[in-house]
Amino acid sequence: MTKHLETDNTWEIGGKRLSSRLLIGSALYPSPANMEDAIKISGSQIVTVSLRRQAAGDNSGNAFWDIIKSLGIEVLPNTAGSHSAKEAITTAQMAREVFGTNWVKLEVIGDQYNLQPDPFETVKAAEVLIKEGFEVFPYTTDDLVVAKRLADLGCKIIMPWGSMIGSGKGLMNPDNLIAIRKQFPDLKLVVDAGIGKPSHATQAMELGYDAVLLNSAIALAQDPVKMADAFRVAVEAGRLGYEAGVMKEREFASPSTPTVGTPFWHQFKE
Amino acid sequence: MIKVSVNGEVKELENDLNVSEMIEALEYKVKGFAVAVNTTFVPIAKYSETIIKEGDEIDILAPVQGG
Repeated sequence: MTKHLETDNTWEIGGKRLSSRLLIGSALYPSPANMEDAIKISGSQIVTVSLRRQAAGDNSGNAFWDIIKSLGIEVLPNTAGSHSAKEAITTAQMAREVFGTNWVKLEVIGDQYNLQPDPFETVKAAEVLIKEGFEVFPYTTDDLVVAKRLADLGCKIIMPWGSMIGSGKGLMNPDNLIAIRKQFPDLKLVVDAGIGKPSHATQAMELGYDAVLLNSAIALAQDPVKMADAFRVAVEAGRLGYEAGVMKEREFASPSTPTVGTPFWHQFKE
Repeated sequence: MIKVSVNGEVKELENDLNVSEMIEALEYKVKGFAVAVNTTFVPIAKYSETIIKEGDEIDILAPVQGG
């Protein structure tokens, strides 16, 4: 059997060299054991986590955190639930102490209905967090100018949405994502949110995105562990496709079978 | 005694407790937490010098699942 080609298989993000380009969330799984199995089979080396209030006598947070620690992979704390730069900054500072990492997925929500990131507060928070030494992974819309502002502040990573969080609608505006990729060839770009099925992840990778971040698509599948494996392969396929160079689209048909030697054509019939 | 809000619930505490003493008084058992007072982060190094006052809003956050 022919040996499979490897992708250009390691890449760097936030100062870490990794082989997987799939960032995975830890929420919404049917059980902690299912989450653990799904994360393992996904091959992901970055898992997102969060901070929440817990009742004083409750120690269930320990069990979750113990599982995550035992996986031995990078932890990316988010600031989910923040509605202002101030809330996001405080959450990031608390996360740095609890999780022992300067990485933060900066998420400031501007609209309760579609959970759209608030670009103004996100930019404000990013500026402060970068000064405080954080490696900021900002979750943003697919707006080019917002990406530019974040890059100007010193963000080396930008995570535009595919579509609304948890919607599973895939890439709403591929052209916007392409524009960001073209404008910022040196930034690490991750499509975050809205991915619903493996082909969405493949599409994002084919656009030249460095990675994808998803949670619901795996956790809410009927079989999250099998879906985690599907996404592992899908991300790999998309990356290989990008590296291989996709053919140019054409406005006309062009036969793939050679026309020379076409049977049943005879000169005297003319 | 003073009244404060801890994770959104009103609690009564002795006067002049610092953050470490407050955690002990609340019998907070979750390991790996961080504290904010009035939405400002209080690092561990500042627990002993940060005194809880009447009306303070305290958040104690611990690791959970996230996307």
